[in-house]
Amino acid sequence: MSRAVSRPAIIWALLKKEFKAYSRDTVYLLLTLLVLIAVPITFRFLPDSVDETITLAVSPPVSALIEDGKDTLRDLGATEEQLAELDEADLTGEQEGLLLLEFEDEGQMTGVIEGTIEAWQTADGEFVFRDKEADEDKPDNAERVNVDIGIAFPTGFISQVATGKDDITVTVYSDAGVPDEIKGAMRSFVREAAYQLAGKELPVSIPAEESIILGQDRSGDQVTLQEKTRPLLLFMILLMETFSMASLVSTEVLQRTVTAVLVTPAKVGDFLAAKTIFGTAMSFSQALIMLALIGGITAENWSLLLVVLLMGAIMFTGVALFVGSAGKDFMGQLFYAMLFTIPLLIPTLSIMFPGSVAPWVRIIPTYPIIDVLVRSTVYGATWSDSWGSLAYAAAWLVVLYGAGLIALKRKVESL
Amino acid sequence: MSLSRIWRVLRKDLALGPRSPIFLWAIVLPVALTLILQVAFGSLFDPEPRLGVVDQGDSAITAGIEDTEGIELTLFDDEAELKRQVEANDLDAGLILPEGFDEAVKGGDKPTLQFFIGGESYASNRIILTVTALDLVRELEGSVAPVTVDIVDFGEEGLPISIRLIPVIVFYALVIAGLFVPGSNIVEEKEQGTLMAILVTPVKTAEVLAAKWLFGVILASVMGVASLAMNGAIGSNWLDVVLVVIIAAMLSAMLGVVVGVFAKDSAMMFGIVKGAGIFLFAPAVFYIFPDWPQWIAKLFPLYWIIEPIWQVSVMGESVTAVWSELAVALGITAALGVLAWWLAKRMQAQMAGQ
Repeated sequence: MSRAVSRPAIIWALLKKEFKAYSRDTVYLLLTLLVLIAVPITFRFLPDSVDETITLAVSPPVSALIEDGKDTLRDLGATEEQLAELDEADLTGEQEGLLLLEFEDEGQMTGVIEGTIEAWQTADGEFVFRDKEADEDKPDNAERVNVDIGIAFPTGFISQVATGKDDITVTVYSDAGVPDEIKGAMRSFVREAAYQLAGKELPVSIPAEESIILGQDRSGDQVTLQEKTRPLLLFMILLMETFSMASLVSTEVLQRTVTAVLVTPAKVGDFLAAKTIFGTAMSFSQALIMLALIGGITAENWSLLLVVLLMGAIMFTGVALFVGSAGKDFMGQLFYAMLFTIPLLIPTLSIMFPGSVAPWVRIIPTYPIIDVLVRSTVYGATWSDSWGSLAYAAAWLVVLYGAGLIALKRKVESL
Repeated sequence: MSLSRIWRVLRKDLALGPRSPIFLWAIVLPVALTLILQVAFGSLFDPEPRLGVVDQGDSAITAGIEDTEGIELTLFDDEAELKRQVEANDLDAGLILPEGFDEAVKGGDKPTLQFFIGGESYASNRIILTVTALDLVRELEGSVAPVTVDIVDFGEEGLPISIRLIPVIVFYALVIAGLFVPGSNIVEEKEQGTLMAILVTPVKTAEVLAAKWLFGVILASVMGVASLAMNGAIGSNWLDVVLVVIIAAMLSAMLGVVVGVFAKDSAMMFGIVKGAGIFLFAPAVFYIFPDWPQWIAKLFPLYWIIEPIWQVSVMGESVTAVWSELAVALGITAALGVLAWWLAKRMQAQMAGQ
């Protein structure tokens, strides 16, 4: 006499079988472990700040340039009030996006740009120069500063411009690799400084800065590569499991072990439920481990992140069931898995680019998942900001998971 | 070893190979990578400041921006759309030039410059676009600049990222077509038992492997040359390019044969290729980052095939300039050939025992 076995007990038994099969699949097991170790390590090496400054060398120092100009203009009869205006003249300094390096000697400046001399910035902000050819020691507790472009003002530049002298030439020294737009901007920059020193006002009026910035001003607080990569990695973990899950399903179909399972009290529904739970649990748990290792979870976004990762895990399980139901051999299954998952990857690549996503990318099923991941981890979005995307993701989840379930059910029943 | 028997096995592979999904990947991947890396990622690695302009009066400023190197200009009809794109960070800045703007500047009316900056734009891009726009306004006014600015360049201009990515694309063409195709072909034949069936005929193991190797050499050579052609890296020295690609294909296909003979099944082969992927791919990365110490790249085996391709196809050198690298590549190929031969004997013994 056999006693009745409950459905949860059957599903639990099938789940145990899945775990055993998974642990025997050394290729995917090792790859999973490799990813869980290597990815967080690599993540730590990604830049956690954005360099949005142009490093500009100037010779002679701005203060020397102004003092020199003052002396000459004083001799020419300029009043102290007029001279005081020079102190306020913004030749190059204190502009956001510009790091200024001042040189007493033009030769030293060109040496730095040419690469024969290295510039280093100490922890207290001072610049130290090291002659590479003389094999000088590298300074301690200092960071190397790359200087690719510099402006050499001629002696008496200010007074010459102010007195309207002809044939004044300013030289911009640049590494040949500096983009044209930066060289052009430096040319425009010097010309504008000269216009101002010559007392020529701008022929247009400029509105206040706060009125011309559109959107949240993130200058100095840009989204770093590390922040951009975080949602991408979480997404990749979900996707990776598609391959291993599809492999497990495919093997089961190919070797017809599913028919053996169905000889037992287990029904097709139990089989599908076990596959769903296993696939979802594997990808979701790995995503959580990754989230714990690379950070990004906050008191505000944790529940939203958990829900969207769970939705992603179910969505990719659906894809894995669909791919696996084809019952191809290893290479064939790999090919099918790539064929289905590569289009699903497109929205993740869009994160790396600035600006809004193309309309056709928004149609891809994984877009709402990645959208919520990005907005919650990078821009601090909450539940109220994410309802639309979550609803859209839920619709695609039903379609993809439903398709996977039906495909595998039909395949199992046909064996 | 019989050439006719090698040809017969090779002919079979050439006829049946295209049915394999890996073969399809070998064809599709270089094309897809060229599109992805050159079109999309080229602009990611070397971004130019993006300026949108609404020009309602055929302004000379628009023409000036068009002539300025290194600024990505987009023209709009609609002011609202321009502002929306600036706010969404689709543009770094936007400029609205109303009708009569040029005349107002020339007439000294001092009109307001409707210039908008995106909140997410980089500070450096803000400076570039702002000073460039102001300089063009000064020119429009007819002012003669009080100074002449000379630009003096040092050194040589670095290669653009689109060129530095070519070794990555060629690497994948060679590895998928040269390594993966013959490797998976051998493994599949083992898994399906067709290899054993072939070996009960007069065909010898060495002849089968020679055919598989030639299959990989042909496919990798074709895909390597096609990848270079797609990326505009074949010039007048095309014969030299073809020669170095063939030598590169010989090495990668031999690597494929070794992996194929060694791996017991497809999963193992996939694991080996995946695990060794970083080791194989490493030298290609050094072309993207020329500031890295380049001697490190020489420690990796595929450097000796990527460097000759780089020098000959991209830098326009002749084969004689890279003879030492090619000699090392041929040496590695020969050593791998010996290894393949030893592994083949082991495989044959295992198959005989089954």
